[in-house]
Amino acid sequence: MTSGYWGLRALASRRAIALTLAVLALYASSVAQVLAHNVTEGDAGYIQEIWGVHIIPFIYLGAKHMVTGYDHILFLLGVVFFLYRMKDVAIYVSIFAFGHSVTMLAGVWFGWGINAYIIDAIIGLSVVYKALDNLGVYQRWFGFQPDTKAATLIFGLFHGTGLATKILEYEIAEDGLLANLLAFNVGVEVGQLLALFVILIVMGYWRRSPKFMTQATYANIIMALLGVLLTYQQIAGFIAST
Amino acid sequence: MHNAPKPNIEDLPTPAQLRRSTIIAGIGAVAIGLMVYLPAEYGTDPIGVGSILGLTEMGEIKTQLAEEAEADRLLDLEAAGGDQSSSLLNDIFGLFVGAAHAQDVEVWRDETSFTLAPGDTAEWKLVMTEGQTAQYRVSVEGGRINFDLHGHGGGQSVTYERGRGSTGDEGEIVAAFDGEHGWFWRNRDSQAATVTVQVRGEYSETIQTN
Repeated sequence: MTSGYWGLRALASRRAIALTLAVLALYASSVAQVLAHNVTEGDAGYIQEIWGVHIIPFIYLGAKHMVTGYDHILFLLGVVFFLYRMKDVAIYVSIFAFGHSVTMLAGVWFGWGINAYIIDAIIGLSVVYKALDNLGVYQRWFGFQPDTKAATLIFGLFHGTGLATKILEYEIAEDGLLANLLAFNVGVEVGQLLALFVILIVMGYWRRSPKFMTQATYANIIMALLGVLLTYQQIAGFIAST
Repeated sequence: MHNAPKPNIEDLPTPAQLRRSTIIAGIGAVAIGLMVYLPAEYGTDPIGVGSILGLTEMGEIKTQLAEEAEADRLLDLEAAGGDQSSSLLNDIFGLFVGAAHAQDVEVWRDETSFTLAPGDTAEWKLVMTEGQTAQYRVSVEGGRINFDLHGHGGGQSVTYERGRGSTGDEGEIVAAFDGEHGWFWRNRDSQAATVTVQVRGEYSETIQTN
């Protein structure tokens, strides 16, 4: 996430969707950056100073990555938006966790060097997909409902590839890599559960409101637009980087 | 129209359940803030849990790196407005010294040795002009060391190599521009480490900068 979201700030200055963008831009500027004279700061700087097994620090970093990764959180929100039975929530969140764990671990282990902009653009599209899915658009357009579990799994695989790309940028030492990687993965799931806990409380209050179904339409339209925005930024970043 | 029906009100969590969850979340947030976030990000550990978890070290390293990056920024600003008159002198001096020592490739020209306690740092540089080449051998005893082999001068900076947990290394520095080229070491190990550096080749002098 070092330079991936720089396009965000350029956009933010246009004041197009002021509030949402300001929040997103804040996220972007709080992310660690590589600075002149080559001192790497922040999480990456810390990781590049250490070697050997550090279980709890890597759990923390994994959880932090998830909680501050708005693209993952948006997708998660989309997935559980209309799930109110705890059993359904558990099934879908497990599918998503399985998907992103597989590609995250394999991606780092085999060093899949996929372009961060491209993978983040796909993650942006996953948010758009899920928001449109929630709006029932596919039933109207195609006359049937695409399998929501399969979609969660497939996009989970892409989210994991995105996570792997970020971890590779961290340059974790070979010494203790596997243990630290597993700890990071545990952290990602811990972060996801923490985020989920908050999401479910907010959704719990919201669902009790009589206006929920009407507002849900607007909420998912906004979510789709945010997904488009994320995708656009990544494509713009990719074009600028080539 | 959505891909899901309106939830039945009796299937939803009751206001009492939601209130309880909110209170738990609030307590959890405060606990995470005090025991995890503050230690891991700022190195402050108000109730001592962060140190047990090994997170305070992370915060301390991050804070230290942020300070060093800030100091470097200020240094670069100074350098950009500062004098560059000594570089010509270095050129001439380097030419003589470089030529005089070009033949004896077998012996090391300079050597330095020092012991770093955990957390300590050292910096040692060679004054070189662009294109000059120097050979080095670093050996580490008693522990392992992190290093940053870099150069700066005339407002420019470059990283040649970085490493962590190093027990020794040898190689060559080819100066990318006129300036000081060499190492920054830091002991992140839990025990003291003795570093010995030997250098030879084209450079005018060595400088200790800490």
